[in-house]
Amino acid sequence: MIYLDSAATTLQKPPAVARASARAIHRYASPGRGGHPPAVAAAQVAFACRELAAELFHVPDPEQVVFTFNATHGLNIAIKSLVHPGSRVVISGYEHNAVTRPLHAIPNVDIRVASSPLFDQQAAVRAFRTELERGVDVAICTHVSNVFGFILPVEQIAQLCRSYQVPLILDVSQSAGCLPLDAQALGAAFLAMPGHKGLYGPQGTGLLLCSADASPLLEGGTGSESIRQEMPEFLPDRLEAGTHNIAGIAGLLEGLRYIKRRGVEAIAAHERSLIRQMGVGASQIPGLQIYLAENPLAQAGVLSLRFEGQDCEELGEKLGDRGFALRAGLHCAPLAHKTAGTLDTGTLRASVSDFNTHQEIQQFLRVLKTLSKA
Amino acid sequence: MLYYLIVCRSLTYAQRTAAALERAGITAHTLRSPKSIAGEGCSHSVKISQRSLPDALRILQRVGLTPKRIYITAGDGSYQEVEL
Repeated sequence: MIYLDSAATTLQKPPAVARASARAIHRYASPGRGGHPPAVAAAQVAFACRELAAELFHVPDPEQVVFTFNATHGLNIAIKSLVHPGSRVVISGYEHNAVTRPLHAIPNVDIRVASSPLFDQQAAVRAFRTELERGVDVAICTHVSNVFGFILPVEQIAQLCRSYQVPLILDVSQSAGCLPLDAQALGAAFLAMPGHKGLYGPQGTGLLLCSADASPLLEGGTGSESIRQEMPEFLPDRLEAGTHNIAGIAGLLEGLRYIKRRGVEAIAAHERSLIRQMGVGASQIPGLQIYLAENPLAQAGVLSLRFEGQDCEELGEKLGDRGFALRAGLHCAPLAHKTAGTLDTGTLRASVSDFNTHQEIQQFLRVLKTLSKA
Repeated sequence: MLYYLIVCRSLTYAQRTAAALERAGITAHTLRSPKSIAGEGCSHSVKISQRSLPDALRILQRVGLTPKRIYITAGDGSYQEVEL
């Protein structure tokens, strides 16, 4: 099978990831819950993971690195910490349901969509500026569209938010590990990311990088200040109630180590070259509509496609039968499809990781061609 | 043998404290605080030798890590808080 669904979950991981998770199941207990060797070993792994994440994402203090179960968990913490009934919130036109559903769950939130054309980065900046000028309480922006790979200019949007003194939540689900990220330079209140995509960790892991006061989503044991019945005021304990997913965290640490060794810039360049190869090749196939940015720097490792007259889900099935794993439909991001004009049909999405090869893309293009003739 | 326990607000804070000291060449060991000094319940401490305290305090001040409390003990179960 050729796996092209890394925007959902990276399947091919560095071998050390699975080894570390397996070792954790056998040897590690729970950080902070006991002073015995298995608890100490778990604590050391958790701290190493926080420290390395802080280094990779330029977070001043490892205590600001909070373990979550996925990006959705982190986004819920961030959104419910900053957005309250009646808040005015600006979001990009490319947000995932992980952002829009929590917002809809809070009563009377005025959600303003800073809508902009696909791959037009400056239009995205202008749209955010317009809404910030109107007055908003919180801004939320995805770094990379999970449907189209469109890289939103978060550095400029973050700068605008700082100048308007509006806290910013960044969804970096598709960019963490794939594009350079500097939390300190961005100055966002929160950055939420999954562990199981570009960080090559196991499913059930995620990180929330916190620079603002946060409210717990869960209350419970933290291994600290146990007599108090309120959650601790300090991070990461405030947001980490209950037993950690230490097997996941051990795997995530190995994923982060891989990224550090390989280098984010090298990963970004490889994924970009795969997507250009796929996009340019696919553009020569009759009847195929592709969503490829003119400017290669405006697109990450995701490409959406549509075949004229073919249902995208059926096309995904046909490709699956031929040994290619892709995702079709709305990708939990109806807003992105609405913005790009693909809400009625959905798209077929190909997404790559550092482990895909140019040969695999060639094979994919060959099969796409045969399907177009069929 | 006399040693000091630097009580920290959380496990992660204790790990940061120990890491900063280790980086500066001071042997530091993270452990759960003894019940009698834990304060509001469970907490974690960093154990250092008696002779390391002045250097440790200087390093922690430099890197912006504030000890919650410090105790001295001879390992006989008695702890005496150290006024800083």
